Amino acid sequence: MVKAIKVQSLKFGYKDDLVLKDISFSLEEGQFMSIIGPNGSGKSTLLKNICNLEKPNSGEIEIHGKNISQYKSKELAKKIALVPQDTFISYDFSVFDVVLMGRFPYLGRFDKETDEDFEITKEALKITNTFHLRDRNINEISGGERQRVIIARALAQEPDIIFLDEPTSHLDINHQMDLLNILRNLNKEKNTTIVLVIHDINLACRYSDIIMLLDKGEILSIGSPKEVVTRENIEKAYGLNTIIEENPYTNSLYIVPLSLNGIVKKVDKKEKVHIISGGGTGREIISKLEEAGYDLSLGVINVGDSDWQLGKELSIKMVEEKPFSHISEEAFKKNIQFIREADIVVLGSTPYGRGNMKNLEAASLALNMGKTVYFLDNYSKDNKFDYTDGEAEKLLNEMKGKGLLIINSIDEIIKKA
Amino acid sequence: MSLKRSKNKYATIVVFLVLALIFSVVLFSTIGTANIKISDTFKIIGSKLPLIGEKINIDGIPDSHKTIILKIRLPRVLLGVLVGASLSSAGVAFQGMFKNPMADPYVMGISSGAALGASLAIILGLRKTIFAISPISFFAFIGSLITVFSVYFISRVKNKVPVTNLLLSGVAIGQFLTAIMSFLMVIYSKDMEKIIFWTLGSLSGKGWEPLIRIAFPTILSIMILNFFSRDLNIILTGEESAKSLGVEVEKIKIYILILSSFMTAMVVSVSGIIGFVGLIIPHIVRLLVGPDHRILLPSAALVGGIFMIFADTIARTIISPVEIPVGIITAMFGGPFFIYLLRKKKKGI
Repeated sequence: MVKAIKVQSLKFGYKDDLVLKDISFSLEEGQFMSIIGPNGSGKSTLLKNICNLEKPNSGEIEIHGKNISQYKSKELAKKIALVPQDTFISYDFSVFDVVLMGRFPYLGRFDKETDEDFEITKEALKITNTFHLRDRNINEISGGERQRVIIARALAQEPDIIFLDEPTSHLDINHQMDLLNILRNLNKEKNTTIVLVIHDINLACRYSDIIMLLDKGEILSIGSPKEVVTRENIEKAYGLNTIIEENPYTNSLYIVPLSLNGIVKKVDKKEKVHIISGGGTGREIISKLEEAGYDLSLGVINVGDSDWQLGKELSIKMVEEKPFSHISEEAFKKNIQFIREADIVVLGSTPYGRGNMKNLEAASLALNMGKTVYFLDNYSKDNKFDYTDGEAEKLLNEMKGKGLLIINSIDEIIKKA
Repeated sequence: MSLKRSKNKYATIVVFLVLALIFSVVLFSTIGTANIKISDTFKIIGSKLPLIGEKINIDGIPDSHKTIILKIRLPRVLLGVLVGASLSSAGVAFQGMFKNPMADPYVMGISSGAALGASLAIILGLRKTIFAISPISFFAFIGSLITVFSVYFISRVKNKVPVTNLLLSGVAIGQFLTAIMSFLMVIYSKDMEKIIFWTLGSLSGKGWEPLIRIAFPTILSIMILNFFSRDLNIILTGEESAKSLGVEVEKIKIYILILSSFMTAMVVSVSGIIGFVGLIIPHIVRLLVGPDHRILLPSAALVGGIFMIFADTIARTIISPVEIPVGIITAMFGGPFFIYLLRKKKKGI
C-alpha cells in the first residue's frame, strides 16, 4: 500500500545549523500521529517541511507516493491541509467566508463558488460545531472557536491528511478535549490521517496511534505510545525524571513528572542508599531520595507491594520476593550483598511479622558491618508494629544500643549530606 | 446562505458607486468659473456618446460652454477618476499584500523612482516617444519598476520577503533616489522649475492626450488586479495559511507588485505625485464594506475616483482663478480624517 507520508533522510536548517538532522519515517493512511519533543526539537519545522512551507536542504518527502515538489500548489492543497499554530486573523471576515476559503484549491481564478462548495463549507462548519458562528466575525469569537473554524477551513479542503501545529496550546482543558475529540472522529469516520504537534504528552498518548518523539532534530523514538513514552526516552529528551503509569480511567499511559535531571545533577550525591521498607512505608523515603539524586536500592520487597510498585516505576534495583511470601534465604543473602555495596541504609517504619523479620535482621547485620543505618521512626506510641511476640522490638532496641540513628523525617538525611 | 446574500449586496454597492461616479463626473465638470447648468453638462456629454448622442439636442447651449466641458473639464475630470482609482486600487493591494495599514502606492519608493525617471527625461530633453509613450511617462514608469524590484530583491531572505524589510528598504531607496533627484536639480537648475512642477502633481491642463494614453493600461490593470481578490483575502489570514491553501504567495506578490507599480507609475507620470488618496481611501472603504477584496477593490477604485475629482474641483475653485496643487487638498482632507479614524478605531485599522 502507498504510504500517506514518506520522509527520507530529510535535512533542514534555517541558517548553517541543521534544525532537522536526517529524519526518516513513514506513516500509513488513516493513522493518528502526534509529534512530541522539547522546545526547539524541530517539531514545527518538520511539519512546515512536510507541508512544503519550507524547502529541505536535502532529502525526499512523499505524499501518497509522489514527491511534494512535483505537486502543483493547488493539487497539494487538495491532499493536505495545515492548521497553523497562530490562527489569529486581524481582519473581520465572517466565519463562513473564512471556511469558504478552504475551497480555494478547487476554484480557478475566474470561477465562482458553486452550490457544492457552499454545501461542503456548511458540512465542515457542522462537523466542527461552528455552524452557529457562521455569520460572526472571525476576530470576535473566542480562541477555541477560532481554532475550530480554522479546522473547518482545513476540512473544506477535503484533504487526506490534516496537519496541526500545537492546536491545543492556547486552549482550556475542556476545549483541548473537544478539539481532539473532533479530530479523532474525523480520523475514525472519514479515515483522515491526522498529524499533530502537541506539547501535552498525556493527551498525545491518549489519542494517538503513533507517537514520534523528536529530540534535537532527530527522531529519538517512533511507534505506539507504549513503545515511545518510556522513562528512558523522556529522560533523554526532556531531562526529566518521571513516573509512567497506565491510567485506569482512560486506559492510556499517564506521565507524572518527578524532578528535573539537569538541576538535580548538580547536587547529585552519588551515594548509594539501601532502603528497607514495605507496605508503603518507603514511599516518601524513595521519592525524596530519588529526587535528591541518590543511587537507590530496595529490598527485600514482595512483588506487588506498594513500595515495590514505586520502585518499579522508578527503575530502582530491588531484591524481590514472591508476593505474600516469607523472605527466603536466597533473597536475604542478596539483600546483604546490596547492603554491603551501599553507603547508607535507611530503615522504614514497617510493621514486622514472621514473614519479613529477616529484613530487620539484615539491618542489624548492617550495623555490625559498620554501615550508617538510619531509622525513620514513624511508629506512633499506641500503634503496634511488632507481630513477632516481642522479637522485633527486642532486636530494634538492641540496634539502638549499637548506634542506630533515629530520625523523624527523611529530610534530615538529605540536609546532612 | 450568507455568502449568496452578500454577493447580492456586493452587486448593489458596485452599481450604486458606479451611478455616484457618473453623477460626480457630470457634477464636477459643471462646477467652475463659467456658469454652466448641470443639465447642459449632461446634454453636452450625452451628445458625444454613441447610440444616444444623435437624439440629444444641444443647439441651445453656447459653443463656449461646449468647449469648456469637452476640451477642458471633462478630460480633466476623467483623468482625475483614473488617477484616484489607480492609486486607491494600488493602495488596497499593497495594504492587503503587506498586511500593513501604513502601506500606500508610494511606500515602496515608487514615487521617488518615478520622479527620478521623469527628471532624467526632462533633463535629457527627450522628445521622441518611446513605444508611443511620451519619454517622461516612459522614464517614470521604468524608474518606478526598477525601484520596486530593487526594494523587493533587497528585502528578500531565502525565498521570503518579510514585510518590515520591504517597508524599510522602500524608505531607504526612496530617500536615496530623492537625493539623486535633488542633486540633479541643483546641477541642472534650468530644469528645476519643470521638475518641481512635475513632482507637485496636478491634473490641470492635460487635455485628452495623456488621458487616452493611460486609460487602457490602467483600467486593464485595475481589472486584472480584481482577479486576485480571492488570493489577497487568503493572504490576509496569514501567509503560511495561504500557502497551505494552495495560494502561490510569492508569485502573487510579484504579480501584485507589477500591476500596482505599473498603474501607479502610469498615473504618476501624467499627474505627478498626489498623496494620501492611496492611503486613506482604502481605509475608509474598508471601514464601509469590510475587508473582502472582492468588494473592497472595486469599491475603493470607484470611491477613489470620486474623491479625486472632488478634491480637484476644490483645488481649482477654492481660490479661483489661482489653482492649488490637488495633492495639498487630498492631504488637507485626508490627513485629519485619517487621524480621526485612528483615534476612533482604537483596536487598529
